[in-house]
Amino acid sequence: MKVTGTVWTFPQDDIDTDQIRRAVYSHLPVSEQAKHCLESLDAGFAASAQPGDIIVGGCNFGCGSSRPAHAAVKALGIGAVLAESFGRLFFRNSISGGLLVVPCPGIVAFAGRGDRLEVDTAAGELRNVASGASLRFPPLAAFLNDMVELGGEKSYLKARLARDRELQRR
Amino acid sequence: MNGLHALHKILIEHAHPRPDSVAPGEFLEIEPDVFAVQVATNAEEVARLEADLAELGVGELPLRDRIFPFIDHGAPAPTAGIAAGQKRWRDFYRARGIAVADPGAGISHLIMTEQGIVLPGSVVALRDSHTPTMGAVGAFAASLAGGTLSLFALGRYWLDVPRVKLVRIEGRLRKGVFGRDVALHINGALGQRGALGSAVEFAGSFVRALGMDLRFTLCNMGTEIGAMASYVQPDDVTLRWVKDRAKRAFRVFDTDSGFEYDGVHEFDASTLDPQVAAPHAPDNVKPLAEVEGRHIDQAYLGSCASGRLEDIAAAAAVLKGRKVHSEVRFIVTPGSREVLKAATRLGYIDVLHEANAIVTSANCGACPGLHGGILAPGEVAIACNTRNFPGRMGPNAEIYLASPASVAASAIEGRIASPLKYLQ
Repeated sequence: MKVTGTVWTFPQDDIDTDQIRRAVYSHLPVSEQAKHCLESLDAGFAASAQPGDIIVGGCNFGCGSSRPAHAAVKALGIGAVLAESFGRLFFRNSISGGLLVVPCPGIVAFAGRGDRLEVDTAAGELRNVASGASLRFPPLAAFLNDMVELGGEKSYLKARLARDRELQRR
Repeated sequence: MNGLHALHKILIEHAHPRPDSVAPGEFLEIEPDVFAVQVATNAEEVARLEADLAELGVGELPLRDRIFPFIDHGAPAPTAGIAAGQKRWRDFYRARGIAVADPGAGISHLIMTEQGIVLPGSVVALRDSHTPTMGAVGAFAASLAGGTLSLFALGRYWLDVPRVKLVRIEGRLRKGVFGRDVALHINGALGQRGALGSAVEFAGSFVRALGMDLRFTLCNMGTEIGAMASYVQPDDVTLRWVKDRAKRAFRVFDTDSGFEYDGVHEFDASTLDPQVAAPHAPDNVKPLAEVEGRHIDQAYLGSCASGRLEDIAAAAAVLKGRKVHSEVRFIVTPGSREVLKAATRLGYIDVLHEANAIVTSANCGACPGLHGGILAPGEVAIACNTRNFPGRMGPNAEIYLASPASVAASAIEGRIASPLKYLQ
């Protein structure tokens, strides 16, 4: 999967899901939740972020609660989240929701706010569009890559159930 | 791999297709024994789930008889918005003939184990980050995130096979020091990423000597070191606890003698003093003595970390014949109705009432900051919550995590205090 976008940096380690989207907003429609995305760390972020923008995060990005904070990020139109490492629950929720999340050790030192990045998840490489500098990362597991590329868990299941039903018919 | 861990054997037993062996990082398709689901607060989410199931052509839910809806966050409903969301979710389950726990039954992890639904050798999927708590009975209990729709539609979900770390704890506690102090200390020593992407097994003479309540507390902390699942090998203590509760047959799995752990961490409980995790991270752990005297506005006892009978007993022992400080709110939220009933029977709840503590019904309470003791900006709490991230119990408030006894001692003094002098 390939995406290109402009970087926002949240380089702190251990940003928990309640900082990505506070629990008190959890009953709101995701379009409303999106307006509060990461507000405690950067009050202007949600209003200024453009569809396709890329979030760069530190270690254990999205640690903490299993509440679906990724939905606020996705609803904002973010194209990818690249972090040193991820909290397991945020990572899985994101893949399931069709939000591209890629563990990229070294990304905090590599990317600055406003950089344009080109990311190729299958090749395991990203490139700074202006300078041409590149960073390699472990390619996303094919299973995860497929699920995100299809648009998330529902599309993946649709294909899977169609295949199962086809096999049953034979 | 030289031998398998019990957790790996549990996964193999539940995998489709069933592999002969497994390697860390590999994805398996797992059919869980228990799919525990929240009566959640978001109405849009249930509308989407219904639409998704219709689009996928799913009628009867394949796991229908293994679905256990509970309602513990923001329960009973504290706001009209949350009430509306919970109603939609209740209707969703009831329309499918699935019984929903009432909002006073307690916290999912406590209900699922106390009622013998999650058992040794079980795989449980539950969308709550503290699901590893249930590993204390020897189950594979990883938090569900992603995979919810798969479980509703297919009855299976995908899990990655974890590496397993071993935390071995020896020694006996000094007076005034409790199991939660050990959990906090380990959390501080290993850090929030200490077991990121791994499972963690707790073992050693200290763990063997613990009752189930504090084994749950230890396993609960696995979440705060980033672990996918926690595990205690079932022994006589486990089996005695499980025997009268089990709703079905279960199987205990053992770890092969040749299994190589991905790191072994040794701890000695006998040298510890009371601990706290200072704001704003569960691994910002130091001896309580370093923050003794810090003013507090609220003290809180509850949560899936420390809302069990032994926790309430420890607080009652400190408070017996004493009063909560007049400027402090001491809120006690038992983790389950079973805990509340036992604490009432044993007289602990009377002690708390006499001390002017605020005893609530059983649920997650103030821990997730949705109701039952939200903090005002600038306020300070000492709590035996699961975690103390920024804003957790209210924006711009501070949370110190401590043992139930330390929380009770601090409630008496209106400032952070050691429980030792109240336990003579």
